[in-house]
Parts: sequence; C-alpha cells; structure tokens
Amino acid sequence: MSSTSTGGAAPPDTSDTSGDGTIVDKVLAPAATPGTTRPSGGRTITEKILARAGGLDDVRAGQNHPFRPDHMVAYDFPGYTDLMFKQMHDDFGITEVDDPERYLVFIDHMLSNGDGREQEVHDVTRRWGDFYGIEVHEGRGIGHQVAAELGYALPGKFLIHFDGHISGLGAFGALGWGVRRDLLEAWVSGQIFLDVPASTRFHLTGTFAPGVDNRDLVHEIIARVGADGCAHQVMEFTGPGAEAMSIGRRQGLCGMAMFTGAVSAIFAPDDLALDYARRVARTEFEPLYSDPDAVYAATHAIDLDELRPRVVLPGSARAANTLGVDEAAGTPITKAFIGSCASGRIEDIRAAAEVLRGRRVAPGVQLNVVPTSQVIHRQAEEEGLLDVLRDAGADIAISSCDFCFGYAKPLQDGENCISTGVLNISGRMGSTGADIYMGSAYTVAASAVAGHIADPREVVA
Amino acid sequence: MSTASAVPDVLRGRVAWIFGDDFDVDLIIGVENIKYYDPDKLRAVCMRAFDPEFADRVEPGDVVVGGRNFGYGHPHYPPLVALRNLGISAVLAESFSPGFWRGETYNGMPLVTVPGIAAAVRRFDPVEVDWRRASVRLPDGTELAGDPPSDRTVKVLEAGGSLNLLLREHARRAPAGAEG
Repeated sequence: MSSTSTGGAAPPDTSDTSGDGTIVDKVLAPAATPGTTRPSGGRTITEKILARAGGLDDVRAGQNHPFRPDHMVAYDFPGYTDLMFKQMHDDFGITEVDDPERYLVFIDHMLSNGDGREQEVHDVTRRWGDFYGIEVHEGRGIGHQVAAELGYALPGKFLIHFDGHISGLGAFGALGWGVRRDLLEAWVSGQIFLDVPASTRFHLTGTFAPGVDNRDLVHEIIARVGADGCAHQVMEFTGPGAEAMSIGRRQGLCGMAMFTGAVSAIFAPDDLALDYARRVARTEFEPLYSDPDAVYAATHAIDLDELRPRVVLPGSARAANTLGVDEAAGTPITKAFIGSCASGRIEDIRAAAEVLRGRRVAPGVQLNVVPTSQVIHRQAEEEGLLDVLRDAGADIAISSCDFCFGYAKPLQDGENCISTGVLNISGRMGSTGADIYMGSAYTVAASAVAGHIADPREVVA
Repeated sequence: MSTASAVPDVLRGRVAWIFGDDFDVDLIIGVENIKYYDPDKLRAVCMRAFDPEFADRVEPGDVVVGGRNFGYGHPHYPPLVALRNLGISAVLAESFSPGFWRGETYNGMPLVTVPGIAAAVRRFDPVEVDWRRASVRLPDGTELAGDPPSDRTVKVLEAGGSLNLLLREHARRAPAGAEG
C-alpha cells in the first residue's frame, strides 16, 4: 500500500559505551542545560523529528516553535473529546478538514458495561467522525497499541495525543507526545507550539534475565533517576540491550516515560522496527537517527542482566515507593491484573503463561487478563496461551482500557491488587479503599498463584 | 499589552500553602472527588486533608508554592479549579511535571518555575510575582529569579488560556458569547 524509504543516515554505532556490569547510573556525557544555545554538536532523533515537523533545517533543545504533527490522536472520553468536538465546530466554525487522515480517534475506553451512558459518548464520536470524514477505530483494542498495528506509528513520524502514554510509539522511532487539552490547538490550527526537549540517553547492555522484563526496567529507572529525573525531556534508549529488546517490550517501556517526568521516549528504528513498519505502513516514511555526537542532558548505562523484579507500593511510581520484589513479598492479594497500554502485549501474556502453565490461581484471588489489542488477543489464542491462562483460573476480558483506569471497577474497598496497569494511585481501579501494587506480568502471575506478592524467579528461573 | 492581559503584570498575594516534592494535585480535593466540577462541592472538599479551614483563610490573589515536580502523576483538572475558585492566582514551584504544566497553562493559570522558592517562604508570607520574568519578591525585599516562560506561553497567559488565544487566532466565525 505504500513505499518506504530507509534513506538518511544509518543507525550510529553506539556500542562504545557499554555498561560496567552494574546498574548504577553513570553519567557519560556532560549535562547540557536545556534552553541554552548549543552552537555545535550533533542532533538527537527527537530534534530531527521536530525539525522536520517544524519545517526547519535544524532545531535545538529549548527552542519554542510550532510543529505540525503527522497524526493527532485521541480516544473518546467525556469532558475531553465531546467538548473538543463541540469547540471545533461551534467555537472555531470548522465544518470540514483538509486532511482527515491526520485525525486519529479510538474508542477504547468505556466498552465493558454496555449501558446507555457509554453509548451516548461513543455516538458523539461516531457522528463527529462521519461529519468530518474521519475514521473512528472502535473496539480494536487500546489505541496506543492499535495506532501501531494500523501503520500510523512509523519511524520519523510525530504524533500527539491528549494522553501521555502515546509515548509508547517511540518503540518505532516515532515521537509520541501527550499534550493534554492543547490537542485542540492542533485540531484547529494544524500545528502545536512546543519547547524542543533535551534528551537523556539510557544505554542498555545485556538481556533480561528469566522472570524480569521491561516493567522492571522502567521502575528501576524511576527509582534511580527520580520521578523528575528526565523532566521535560525525551528518554532515548540505545545500545545492544535496546536492540535486543522486542518491539512489544520497547512499547511498554516507552509508554511509561511520563513517570520520570519525560514528555516521551524513543528508540532508534533498527531492522526490527523497520520490518514492522514496512509491513503495516499507511504512508511513506523516512527514519531518522541521532547523530553519533548528539548532545544529551545525561547518559546512564544500565546492564539488563543485573535487573531484578520490582514492585511499586500503592501511591505512585516514585522512587520511594519502588522496592525489590523480595521486600514486598508476602503481601496478601485478592486481585491481580495483566493488561494496559504498558503491559498487555504478547510478551506479557507469554510471561503469564510461562508462570501459570500447570499451576492454579490461588483460592480467593481473581486474575484478570486483558490483551492490549484484538490482534494480540488472537495471537495469544493461536499460541494456546489463553487456554493456559484459562486452565489456571484466569479470566480473559476484551481489549480495552477499562480495567486499568477503573471503569470496570475491578476492586472493592479493602482489597489488595497487584497490577501491570500504568498507575496505582488510590481510586485508580474503582475503589479509593483498595490498594494497588504494580509489577511485571511475571510478578503478577506468580503472585496470583501464591495468593500474595511473590518473586517470579522462583517459578521461571 | 499589559492592560489587555488576563493576568496582572505583578501578582500580589500571600503564600496560602506550601506543598512538597512530587506532589500529586489530586490530593488537593481527594481522589474520590476528581471527577467533580461543581463549585460548592469543590469548595467543601478543597484542602480538607491539609487544613480544614483553608477555604475560609485563603484570600483572592494568594498563591500556592510547590516543591520539585509539582503535579506528578495523572493530574486532573478539578483540583486547580477548586483552588482557583478560592482565589488562588498562581502556583510557584521549584519545577513542574510536564503534563500538569501543559494542562494548567492551557487553563490560563500562571505556573512560575522558581528554584529555591519552597525553602525561601513560609505560609502567609506576602510575595510579589512578576510572572513574565519568573521573579518573586520575598518579604525581606530580596528577589528570587526563576525560568521565564516562552513568548508563546506569555501570550497564552495574557489571553487567559489557550482556548481564548486560539479563538483570537483561528476562529472562522464569531463564537457565540465570546464578544461583548
């Protein structure tokens, strides 16, 4: 359906800064102060994507400029899209759009109750799509995943959303930026003013040990750099550990960028990402890469071999709440959840099946599994993984956001849940009187079997 | 320019409250209330967990002060609607979480990044804030200088929020009720 280009510079060899065998942060480059003039030095992939989107030869961190997103993404949600639809039409007098392909709307929230209220919200969205000739993607799964499956998240592209987890599209070498209600600015003007972000590089070596995955990595990073360690920046993942990581793991990692204060996260589009992109691409694309002498605010070296499973205590993902699984082990649970835009991909379901094969979810525990998209659901079914999960006593739900953001109200007062959702603040999953712990799919599955928070390495190692 | 600004050139008020680092704004009204926009409801719950008398003690023009990374998490809009309803005119913080910063700048709330502010003030200190310069005059007359906003952000705040600025720049017909 489209031709692709692999023009532009080849991925730089960044293997010269491998880790030292520890996961202790190591600053490898002098910090640059965002906002200061940087007359020399190469550009990051983020700066290059924004330069292209801004119609400029060059941009530098700190520069404020209007940028034209390739796609302006949203999911329908009351108080957000319904209001923005009305503003676009009534306040701005926009009765047609020149480029409906740039508008990308998903119906992925509020799918599980089937009541009149949710139909009302979705009807507004459907009518809006019909009116402007904008395709509305309904019920295919979580939009941050489906955008990739539908060929919108292509290397070098710039996408915005009101929701910050759009950063997951950085797995493909695209820049996905959550701009909140400023999405309206792009809807009505075609562009959005942004401050060009500096980048912090995370140079990864090694591979994940059995029972450890990208969720453990992102919580390790938050614990190391702090909840604002990459504030207003982009996290850029490089090195052999990044190249060895599967696309799904990259998506999950990038999707959690906001919890370091980052506005996005990105990988260089290597053969793995390019192969995926060529298979699904809706439009032409040209990958971009950071220059070998690109200037970073900081670089941290992380050896994936050294990672251990992490558990986040109820409240938020901040460093003080992030423990090794051994420190939280034994905490009783009644609910367990695998899903969300960060952790319901095929790798997570395989991880759960690895743990649950031949085992049973503990009495008194309910394990809900939500594949991130219908495509992933089908793949998991074909691989026999969902049968393994069902045999173990897990419940499989349709692909949506409803468990993670609490619409499905999976939790009651007094319950403890271990979750792969993106957030564990009070009330997130339906009850302000319940506690939510976070961990990887391995940890959630192992905990569901044990009836309390448990170390998955005891099962899968 | 300044006469047309929705935000006075210099904000004068007291420090109504000082929050810590990584503060989740949902706590201002309690997570059980983050879907409410009703002014009476928000007034009844605003800052209850911190100072039950806050709503009676705050004065129009007061500011709140935050530590590093103010607005961390998934910041919802009602908490700042509640503070604004009580007269809070600005947030001064060591730094802001990007999502919170963008969302509340859209709403026209001056968010002033001033490193050192959390330790430099006490509750009810009077302060003067030149938000365009990110400069805060403290009770002893000294000034703390922060990070000034971009020209675009200045325009957004002068317009009283992004929507107003966009309407001026891009409305293809006069929106009902926007003039006069």
